[in-house]
Amino acid sequence: MSKKLKNIILIVLSTVFIFGFFIWGLIAPDLEISTSERRPLEKFPKLSISTIMSGEFMTDFESYTLDHFPLRDKFRTLKSVTAFYVFGQKDNNDIFIAEGHASKLDYPLNKDSVNHATDRFQYVYDTYLKDNAGDIYLSVIPDKNYFLAEKNKYPSVDYKAMISQVRENMPYAQYIDITDKLEISDYYTTDSHWKQEEILPVAQHLAENMGVSLNAEYTQTKALTPFYGVYAGQSALPLKPDTITYLENEHTKSLQVYDFETDSYIPVYDTQKLQSNDPYEMYLGGPKSLLVIENPKAETDKELVIFRDSFASSLTPLISEGYSKITLVDIRYLAPEMLKNFITVEGQDVLFLYSTSVMNNSVTIK
Amino acid sequence: MLFSSIPFLFYFLPIVILLYFAVPKKLKNLVLLLSSLFFYGWGEPRFLVFMIVSILQGYIFGLLIEKHQGTKRSKVFLTASVVFSLALLGYCKYADFFIENFNAVTGLSVPLLGIALPIGISFYTFQILSYAVDIYRGTVKAQRSLINLGAYIAMFPQLIAGPIVRYEDIANQLENRTHSLEKISLGIRRFVLGLSKKILVANILGELVATFKASDDKSILFYWVYAFAYLFHVYFDFSGYSDMAIGLGKIFGFDFMENFNYPFISKSITEFWRRWHISLGTWFRDYLYIPLGGNRVSTPRHIFNILVVWMATGFWHGAAWTFILWGLMFAILLIVEKFFLAKALKKLPVLNHIYVMFFVILSFVLFDAPSVKDAFINISSLFGAGSLALVSGEALYYLKSYVLILLIGAVGSTPLCTFLVNKAKETKAGSLLVNIAEPVVILTLLAVCTAFLIDGSFNPFLYFRF
Repeated sequence: MSKKLKNIILIVLSTVFIFGFFIWGLIAPDLEISTSERRPLEKFPKLSISTIMSGEFMTDFESYTLDHFPLRDKFRTLKSVTAFYVFGQKDNNDIFIAEGHASKLDYPLNKDSVNHATDRFQYVYDTYLKDNAGDIYLSVIPDKNYFLAEKNKYPSVDYKAMISQVRENMPYAQYIDITDKLEISDYYTTDSHWKQEEILPVAQHLAENMGVSLNAEYTQTKALTPFYGVYAGQSALPLKPDTITYLENEHTKSLQVYDFETDSYIPVYDTQKLQSNDPYEMYLGGPKSLLVIENPKAETDKELVIFRDSFASSLTPLISEGYSKITLVDIRYLAPEMLKNFITVEGQDVLFLYSTSVMNNSVTIK
Repeated sequence: MLFSSIPFLFYFLPIVILLYFAVPKKLKNLVLLLSSLFFYGWGEPRFLVFMIVSILQGYIFGLLIEKHQGTKRSKVFLTASVVFSLALLGYCKYADFFIENFNAVTGLSVPLLGIALPIGISFYTFQILSYAVDIYRGTVKAQRSLINLGAYIAMFPQLIAGPIVRYEDIANQLENRTHSLEKISLGIRRFVLGLSKKILVANILGELVATFKASDDKSILFYWVYAFAYLFHVYFDFSGYSDMAIGLGKIFGFDFMENFNYPFISKSITEFWRRWHISLGTWFRDYLYIPLGGNRVSTPRHIFNILVVWMATGFWHGAAWTFILWGLMFAILLIVEKFFLAKALKKLPVLNHIYVMFFVILSFVLFDAPSVKDAFINISSLFGAGSLALVSGEALYYLKSYVLILLIGAVGSTPLCTFLVNKAKETKAGSLLVNIAEPVVILTLLAVCTAFLIDGSFNPFLYFRF
C-alpha cells in the first residue's frame, strides 16, 4: 500500500466516522429514557439569550449530545470492555465483576451516614414506638459486597463495625442476625437485590426470632422476561440476564395490599412490572412509601410494622403468613414526621429492616 | 469548548471543516476567526469581550509601533500594548492573589474581587506580547488585516492551552499556506493520538488522583502511586492537548511548533526544560531572560536572571505561592546544574535519569498542592512522615487497577513506540504493515475515545486555568 493510498484511506475513514455520526445524530429521533441506565435522557436545552450568556445552554447541550449519541449503549459497552479487558481495570464506574456477579464498590464505612439513619430511627422510636409498640426488632441485610468484596480483594466496608454501630445506636431494638442465612448465590448476578426464592431461610429465621412460626409451602413461578438488573445497565457489559422467580401460596394469593400513595389496592406480584425498567418492582409495586398488607387467612391477630428499604419488598410476602396485618413504611419516601397522619402504633411488633448499602448511603432517609 | 467533547468532535469540527474547505482562499481566515470566536464564546460568552479587546489593542498598537519604528513613540506604543496586556492578565488572574497577601501582611480585610479566570488568557496574552515586541524589534511586520491577526490570536486549535504560537512563525502561513492530503492525514493522525493521550491516559489517571485525594486509607505506597499518576496525568493531558492543537493546525494548513519532546528521557533538569512546554520556555528565554542580560553578565546577575525567569514561569502557571516555589525549585536546580553538576551528570548514565525523575516527581507534587503546607505534607508523606503505613488495602487495589495505564504512561512518554514504528518502516514488509495498520489503529482509537466520552463525565483540560 502506498503512502498516498494510506493517507486517502485514513482521511476517508475519519471523515465517514465524524460526519456519519454528526448526520446520524441530527436526524435520529430523540429517545425519552435510557432503559439500560433506568433514567430519563436529557431534552434539547432551552435556547435563549439568558441561557447562552450564563453558559447553561452549552452545559445542557453537552449533556444532551452525550445522552442522544447514536449507538450510545454500544459505545458504553465498548468503553466498559476496554476498561476491563484492555486496560485491566478492576472496576468500571465502580462496578466490578467477581464470582460471576456484578456489584458496586461501596466503601469505606460511612459512620456519619449510619448515624444519620439511626438518628432518624431514634426519632421514630421516640415519637411513635417508645410507649406504644410491642417488641422491637432490628436486622441488617448484608449487601452483595459482604460476600464478594473482601474475599476478592476489593475495597470493602467494615461490616462488623457497621453492624456494631447500628446495634449500639439502637439499644431499644432486639438484633436478629441473618448474615449466616445468606450466601452470594442468594442474590441476582446483575442486580443488588436478593432472590425471593432463596430467602425462605431468612424469612423463617426472622419470624422465629419474632415469635412467629411459618409452615406454608410455596410454588415457584419463573418469569419469562429476562431480568437485567441495575448493575447490568451501569456496567454496560454484555452480562447474562437473571430470572425473576416469585413464590405463591394460599396466603400470598389472599393478601390485600393497600397503597396509600395511589389510594388503591395493588397486587402482591405485579407481573406487568416485569416489562418495566426495573422488573424487581414487581414485588409489592416497587418503591412505595406506605403499604398495609392484610392477610384474611391469618390464624393470628398479630400485627407487624416494618421500617424498610427495597429488600423487604420480596421478603414481606414470605412472612405474611404469620401476621394478620403488616404495615410497610419506607422513610426514604415519607418523612417520619408525617407518619402520624397515616398510622397508629398500638401494640404492634416493629422490625427495622435495612440493607448495609442504604445504611452506608443514608442521605435518602428523610 | 473542549476538544475532548462530543459537541466539539461531532458538531463543531465537521461544520467548521465543511465551511473552511468550501469557501475560497481569501475567506478561509474569516471562517477561522469566526469559528474561533464561537469556540471561545461557547464556554465563556462574557469573556469574548476580553478576547475581542485584546485582538483590537494588538492590532492597533501593532500598526502604531510599526508606523513610528525607530522613534520614541514606537517605544511608547509598545509600552502601552505590554501594559495593557499585563494589566488585563494581572486583573483577571492575579488580583485576588495580591489582595490576599496584602491582607495577610497588613491585617486588613480588603474584599477579594472573585474574578473568574478567562480560559486561555495566559496563552493569548503572551502571543500578543510577543507580536508587539517582535514588531518593535523589527523582526516581523505588523499585520494589516484585522481578520488575519484575529485569526492568529483567537485560532481555536491552540487558543485554550497552546502551544504559544509566535506570530513570526506563522505570519507567512496566515496568507500563504498549503493544504494537502499528506498534511490533512498527518493532522488527523496527530489529533487522534493527542485525543487518545488525553482521554485514555490523562483522564483515567485523573480519576486515580481524585480517588487518592478522597481516600482515608493513605499509605506511603499510595502517595507514590499518586505522585506517578499525577505526573503522567499532567504530561498526557498537556502534551495530548498540544498534539491535538498541532494536528488541527495541520488540517487547516498550519505548522505549529512542537511543545513537548519526550521530557522524561532527559538526563538533566536543563534538558528537561528544553523538552517540556517548549513554547513557554523559549518565550521566557526570548522575551525575559535575554532582555535581562541572559548569561552574558556577572555570575550574581546571571543567578538573579535565572531566579527571576523561573519565578515568573512558576507564577505564569498560577496565582499561588506553590507555583512560585515550583518555579524557584527549578531555578535552584538549574543553577546547581549550571555551576556544579552539569559535567558530573553526563558521567552518570542511569543515575542522571533517576535524579531528573526524582525532582520532577517532587516538583509536580508541589505543583498540585492546594497550599504550601499541603505540599510539605504530601512530599514528606512520600518518605513516610506522619506515621503512615507502608501499604494500605486501597493503595494495593488501585495500584492493581491502574498498573497497566501507568505502564502505558511510562512507555508512552518515551520515544520507544516511534522508534519501533520507524524501525519497522525500514523494511518493505514492515512499511506495508505500518501503512495498513495506521488507519485501523487511528479509527479504533477514535471509536474508543468516543466511547469513553459518551460514558465518561466532564473532565476539563488542566492547562485551561493557565
